[in-house]
Amino acid sequence: MRLAGRAGGDEVRGLPSANASLHVGIIAGLAFLLSPLLGCSNDPYPPAKEGEKVLYSSFIDAPRTLDPATAYTTRAHAITGAVYDTLLKYHFLKRPLELMPGLVVALPERTELGDGRVRYRFELREDLLYADDECFRLAGLDRTTREVVSQDVAFQLSRIADPEVGSPVIEPFSNILGFAEFGQRLTARREADPKFILRPVHEQYAAVGGIAGVVTPSIQVLEITLHRAYPQIKYWFAMEFTTPVPWEAVLVYDGKEGRPRFDDHPVGTGPYVLVEYDKQARYVLERSPNWYGVRHPEWKAPSAVFPSEGDEEDRRAGRLEYAGRSLPFIDRVEVRREKESIPRFNKFLQGYYDASGIIKESFDKVIQEDALSPEMVARGISLGKSVALDVFYIGFNLDDGVVGRGRGERSRKLRQAMSLAIDVEEYLRIFMNGRGVLAQSPIPPGIYGYRPEYKNPYTRVDLDRARTLMVEAGYPGGIDPTTGEALRLTFDSYDTSTAGMTQVRFYTSAWKQIGIDVRIEATNYNQFQEKLRNGAYQVFQFGWVADYPDPENFFFLLWSEMGKSKFGGPNGANFSNAAFDQLFESMKSRENGPRRMEEIREMTAILEHERPWIELFHREDYSLYHGWVRNVKPMGISAPTYQYRDIDPARRKADRLDWNKPIVWPAYALFAAGVLIVLPGIRTYLKERQ
Amino acid sequence: MMQIEPYIFSNVVTLLLILGGAFVARSVSRERLWREAAVTLWTRRRFAIVVVGLYMTIGLFDSVAWKGGIPEDAIDVLPNAPLTLVDRAFLGTKEASYSSPFASVEFYGGSALKHPGSHPFGTDILGRDVLYLSLKGARVALLIGGLTSLIAIPLALIFGVGAGYFGGRFDDFVFFLISTLASMPGILLLIALIMAMGRGTLSVCIALGVTSWVGFCRLTRAETLKLRELDYVYAARALGVPEFRIVLRHILPNLAHLIVITFVLMFSGLVLSEAVLAWLGIGVDGSWGQMIDGARDELSRDPIIWWNLLASGASLFVLILAVNAVGDAIRDVLDPRTLKEPS
Amino acid sequence: MGAYVIRRLAYGVGVIVGVLFLLFLLFFTVTQPDDIARRALGEKVSVEVIEQWKVNHGYDRPLWPWQDWDDNLLFEHYRRMLTFDFGVSDADDSPIIDRIRAGVGPSLSLTVPLLVLGILGGIPLSLLVAFFRETYIDRTGVFLCVLAMSVSIILYIVGAQYLIGKVLRWYPISGFDADLLMLPRFLALPIIVGLLSGIGGDVRFYRTVFLEESTRDFIRTARAKGASEPRIMTHHVLRNALIPILTRVVLAIPFLFTGALLLEAFFGIPGLGSMTFDAIQANDFSTLRTMVFIGSLAFVLGQIATDLSYGLVDPRVRFE
Repeated sequence: MRLAGRAGGDEVRGLPSANASLHVGIIAGLAFLLSPLLGCSNDPYPPAKEGEKVLYSSFIDAPRTLDPATAYTTRAHAITGAVYDTLLKYHFLKRPLELMPGLVVALPERTELGDGRVRYRFELREDLLYADDECFRLAGLDRTTREVVSQDVAFQLSRIADPEVGSPVIEPFSNILGFAEFGQRLTARREADPKFILRPVHEQYAAVGGIAGVVTPSIQVLEITLHRAYPQIKYWFAMEFTTPVPWEAVLVYDGKEGRPRFDDHPVGTGPYVLVEYDKQARYVLERSPNWYGVRHPEWKAPSAVFPSEGDEEDRRAGRLEYAGRSLPFIDRVEVRREKESIPRFNKFLQGYYDASGIIKESFDKVIQEDALSPEMVARGISLGKSVALDVFYIGFNLDDGVVGRGRGERSRKLRQAMSLAIDVEEYLRIFMNGRGVLAQSPIPPGIYGYRPEYKNPYTRVDLDRARTLMVEAGYPGGIDPTTGEALRLTFDSYDTSTAGMTQVRFYTSAWKQIGIDVRIEATNYNQFQEKLRNGAYQVFQFGWVADYPDPENFFFLLWSEMGKSKFGGPNGANFSNAAFDQLFESMKSRENGPRRMEEIREMTAILEHERPWIELFHREDYSLYHGWVRNVKPMGISAPTYQYRDIDPARRKADRLDWNKPIVWPAYALFAAGVLIVLPGIRTYLKERQ
Repeated sequence: MMQIEPYIFSNVVTLLLILGGAFVARSVSRERLWREAAVTLWTRRRFAIVVVGLYMTIGLFDSVAWKGGIPEDAIDVLPNAPLTLVDRAFLGTKEASYSSPFASVEFYGGSALKHPGSHPFGTDILGRDVLYLSLKGARVALLIGGLTSLIAIPLALIFGVGAGYFGGRFDDFVFFLISTLASMPGILLLIALIMAMGRGTLSVCIALGVTSWVGFCRLTRAETLKLRELDYVYAARALGVPEFRIVLRHILPNLAHLIVITFVLMFSGLVLSEAVLAWLGIGVDGSWGQMIDGARDELSRDPIIWWNLLASGASLFVLILAVNAVGDAIRDVLDPRTLKEPS
Repeated sequence: MGAYVIRRLAYGVGVIVGVLFLLFLLFFTVTQPDDIARRALGEKVSVEVIEQWKVNHGYDRPLWPWQDWDDNLLFEHYRRMLTFDFGVSDADDSPIIDRIRAGVGPSLSLTVPLLVLGILGGIPLSLLVAFFRETYIDRTGVFLCVLAMSVSIILYIVGAQYLIGKVLRWYPISGFDADLLMLPRFLALPIIVGLLSGIGGDVRFYRTVFLEESTRDFIRTARAKGASEPRIMTHHVLRNALIPILTRVVLAIPFLFTGALLLEAFFGIPGLGSMTFDAIQANDFSTLRTMVFIGSLAFVLGQIATDLSYGLVDPRVRFE
């Protein structure tokens, strides 16, 4: 490239004769065509340091925030999960997921206090340090780190309660005693006293007296009191929302005078530190020397050593060979931005990313007869499969005049008929390469309450039955008697991409078969949400990914108090059923057991008949990783796993070289073709001149 | 209020278009200058004109729709729906999913097709015949080009001729408006307009119209400035002919060749712009741009699905190539001097 | 001359004022600040949080001067844009000016070579085609140009990534690294695509200019004097064709700064075009209107520069 520029550059400065100009043109062209050979390499990375273990990964868009109180996306958790450590952790190998101690010494003690109150007692480990960061010095300390204390967790819980932080998870934490009141006191104080807001946030929290249900008897101990039973609270302590956060970082990183914002500059207790963060292009994580697992390997803390209990598959994959070794294994994680999926996957195949999902486009090349294709096996690539803890569904707006409860039995029959027209298996085959499990109810496998033997009669295709139901619903052959035309419904989609439209067309053409004319209205996500808020919609598709492995996290999507149009909650179907609500509220605060199972069964039966949703599928994750990558095991929910991974750099280097030899002959062929076109012309010209 | 159904509207417009076409053809054949130009054009670009004509015919066939006459067992259409000629030709050809051209089994999985060997361009992911979809795209492309031109050209004429002929404050205003619009980056303005107006064929056409009238307006303004100074315009004005009449009789007819040339040259640019919009997710439903955007990912499927991209890409490419070729020739024939390449 | 320059500049200012007004109409009245806030903050936020967000982003004012003369969005919009105080992104609260600063480098590293190579490739090629006018080289050349112009740029991008990136493995399929040793290999592919998609129009344009110049009287005179054909092409034709070429080049310069939207987005170059693309995807209106403003500003400045530089290149042009 550079050579071509220079050779051509002479030309413009003016040349004495045209022959020379032609020559330069030819030289420039030659240089251009040969340039592939000169700077030719498709390696997107500068050479790595010898002996350093680097993991290469990618991201699509930088998260809006890395503040653990507000970050609620998988892409944010990819960073916050590594940088912030949590009090509790999920066992890396055990399935179904199981909690174990993280920053705490043991799982929290639970005490019943009477009148429905419950207390959890957490005891932090001693001598936990934050990662080195300038904020501590700037806040007046004489070093760049400090010890983690239980007040830091209390501070973070106060931040979630602080309305100004705008945390999306206020609702579950409202089970903590005095949680909502704390937020109200804070707001009242701020409104009453304009100077109050100028004080540092941690002082503001202290001034209004903290959350009643969050007590720190010592710098190691944290006691949380709930005003009503909410067993799911423990899962929230395995998420970054409740990580210890130093008030110094929140104070110093305010985005003013050239300082970064706390949203972009995390300071945590985790095994990694974010050392470079360019939202447009890349970020780099490096292992933190202050992590307790590194400083105190002798503790053999359960979350700082590789687990020794696993299943047969873990043994086969060689994961158990790592049992008892100190984490982490990787020194650096280099993450590059890749907006488009196909280049990303191609780079994985070239060996430049260590692990990858399978894009649907390449599925048939990668997977054959439900196993890796011989080509992939020959490259040493391995496959990991797991069912994600999520559910995808088509929802009906039950407040709508046609598909909603207003028309009673008629609209119920219509919803049942529409349910029977959708061939989810076909959908999975066409759009997802069969990577999914048919959903029978909102509960995916791996969540308590999932019954493998349960088959929902409305989630299979039965066009004859559907047509009969259409007649019973008052739309024989799909004709709406009031208009004499096919019944017209609107499907609201928030995916305006061509691929997204094609997927929605699958549903609409299925409903065409029973004579319903479903028009697609694709808008951006914003406008879609606006419609949901206003209740101006009929049919929509949505998905939900679990926050934690509990059925409550799925059924609350249909709880009337979560109604979208009325309360702005995630119940987009606006489903409101007294019997269901009663069962839900009882199931919610119950520990797992036969009673809970029975309640779940009854709730499922209500949903089966009422059809607020057409349950579609639970995704099946297929992940690929190269032969040099060890210890990849999907968790099903977004939980950090970088510290468990390991790689073999020598093998990666050899494979990359082997796979990326450029093919250069087309460059010469192209050049020859150009010469062949021009040469006869020049000859003719020279002849004429003579 | 009586509601006119879209298909009846479409039929009426089609009829009007045919009548309009016939009227233009008659006018052209009556005037020597235009007739000669048409003949020269025909001799020069016979093939390209035939190709463009073919696209237009398909587009027209796809605009004539009526209800009824659908076989009872057709399940991939709605009851009592209006279907166009093109729809009817491909009725009941839907398969389950991908199949390659002229195949007898499905591409993935290999189960038997319902209509083996009848899909010359294969079928798409939803099992729809790709030839059918490509043909449907012709109408959309013509609609984008046509509707946008119908918005942009009158706008440009009103402002351009008005500014050039009447001058003064109005001219200052128009010139200022043009400079302002022209200095905003085209693609961004386009996106901003569509984001503000919402998706849909009409808003895409309006946005394209707003961003593309500027260049032509500048041209008509400059030409009108020249025409205004011609002797017979002076003479007409001296004789007391109303200004409006002068514009209609003497200015506009002299701009006719510019209108024709601009229309043809603008057309290809508009259709190509839509392809970019489709990639941004704000294109027009059923356009080739959208098909290409969808086929882009399929190209990297393994084994590769190539017929979708080939069919949509080639449909677009051939139309643009033919229109460009005709456009070049029209420019050479009608006006070798005033217009340079759009730079 | 001086008066002309002043008049020209004043007009440029007027145009910028007009552009800002159009932007205001599009981004404040058609899309209300409330919509922007909801989009940025997501669903579960309360009205108070939205109000707070509007305060933080300066949206908490009436729109028009007649509602509040001292404190309204219209004047505020003008003030902020004209003082380059762009504020923070609606999508992620990062200062827009920082992102522009970070994006200019990558954008220029793509667009400058693209422009230079476009000229260096386009002019010789079109000279060649014009030189062999009315021969098969001319006809093939023009045909290839029309062919190249008729292909959608998206097809070029997809094709190049597949063929050169995946099959031939010459360059990385996408990505960016500011390191000087790494940079060329990342830029190679987008530059090839940019050249291919642009060269058709360029060559056709230059060819027309050259052919027009080569029919002029002084060329005939030169030919009659026995000057060799190549000499005529380079000395007389090229020199006299400089004005239209210069116009085209100067008008292209502003777009160097706004970047190549599609190329940057597809090839993962973190420049201004990519930033604009992200802003579109994220409904980030504050970034979007800043980019439109900067693009327009650069364009207006470019135009003024063109008009003034005519006088330097061509003594026939006089400023009236």
